[in-house]
Amino acid sequence: MPEKGKIDTKQAIMLSICLILPTAMLSVPAVIIRHARQDAWISLILSIFIGLLVARLIVSLSFRFPDKTLFQYSEEILGRVPGKIVGLLYLWWVLHSNAIAIDEFASLPCVALMPDTPFVAFFIIAIVVAGYAVRNGLEVLSRYIELITPIGLGLMVSLFCLLTTKVKFERLLPVFDKGLVSIVKGAAMPSGWMGEIVLFSMFIPYLNKPREACRVAVLSILIIGIFMVSVTVGILLVFGPDVSSSWIFPVFMAIRAISIANFLERVESVVIGIWVFMGFAKIGVLYYAAVLGSAQWLGLKDYRPLVAPVGIVLLGLAFLCPNIIDLLDFLARAFPPYALIVFELGIPLILLGASLIRGRRGESS
Amino acid sequence: MVALLILAFIAITLFEVPSLIKKKMWGELAAFSVYLLIGMALTIPQALGIRLPNPTKTIEALFRPLAELLK
Repeated sequence: MPEKGKIDTKQAIMLSICLILPTAMLSVPAVIIRHARQDAWISLILSIFIGLLVARLIVSLSFRFPDKTLFQYSEEILGRVPGKIVGLLYLWWVLHSNAIAIDEFASLPCVALMPDTPFVAFFIIAIVVAGYAVRNGLEVLSRYIELITPIGLGLMVSLFCLLTTKVKFERLLPVFDKGLVSIVKGAAMPSGWMGEIVLFSMFIPYLNKPREACRVAVLSILIIGIFMVSVTVGILLVFGPDVSSSWIFPVFMAIRAISIANFLERVESVVIGIWVFMGFAKIGVLYYAAVLGSAQWLGLKDYRPLVAPVGIVLLGLAFLCPNIIDLLDFLARAFPPYALIVFELGIPLILLGASLIRGRRGESS
Repeated sequence: MVALLILAFIAITLFEVPSLIKKKMWGELAAFSVYLLIGMALTIPQALGIRLPNPTKTIEALFRPLAELLK
């Protein structure tokens, strides 16, 4: 097995939070609010259920094949060639999602603060630092995440507490204004994001208590969901649906509005700090999944030699990504069906169905 | 820009390949080279200002009927 490290339950929860939350926090609320307006929180609750469904799927697959990751058991279930094709698809998806994450990571500082700095500077910093963490192995990466996640989330919560002076609860009324269709449409993008929990299957074999995988996946989806709901409701309570849906980075803009006694102002730099730390975590986790996945797909003994060339591929892909407006349009419209139907529900369902029909379990073969 | 990229490629190769050859990890070496070649194919044309086909646009075209629903 290429990876010998083990992570404990707490680290695994934070790892799956960092797999989804950092980029979801940044720009997803605006898209949900555009569809569902003040009912965005209902959309988010729907998307939590989708996330829980995907988590359940992945965990039942992993329970059938303990000690195996997505790339290994897809081959065992479907046979050699179809399994390799599924693995290749997932490899592409991880690399592409990571390129999108890197692009988003660079966009906030580039668009909001440092417009004269070229994107590529942020790309290279992100890839080099994340690559260093990945090369040092899963344990180093998850310890970094364990250190950073509570700080990031805690700071975010306290910043939103500072916003409470501007809250008006009427902005959430009337409830159910735009009807069910809009709410379901609004749920599409966050569901696509929650479904990225699929990649948690890359880490289940490395839990020191694999039996707790279900608890880890469910807890992390719930934490992400609660966090997203409170962020979105916070934005809505302060600005209402009209203003907040027109922003690219609603969280950033909301925090920018904090002004207490003309003294505590311009705290958005804290958001940039949180974003850099959490963004690195997300890029690192996806990077790790891509590198470990390709090593397992090819049946290699060691994944570390692949870290640097995969970084170059990521750099090229991140360059190819369109500007932030086009990217957000892609993420809002084409990404949910692409990710949800193919990678997050479709292939896992086929794998689970096939393994149930063929009655294969990891232990017997 | 291109010179910097080629320098980076050489640095990565010098950093990884000798130990791979010493340990006789030929599979890893092959995977390393394939990834490096893909990386070169993706980065060097872009550094020269050539526009490559964009995978994001292809995915968008494939999922257009569903994406229209989310307008």
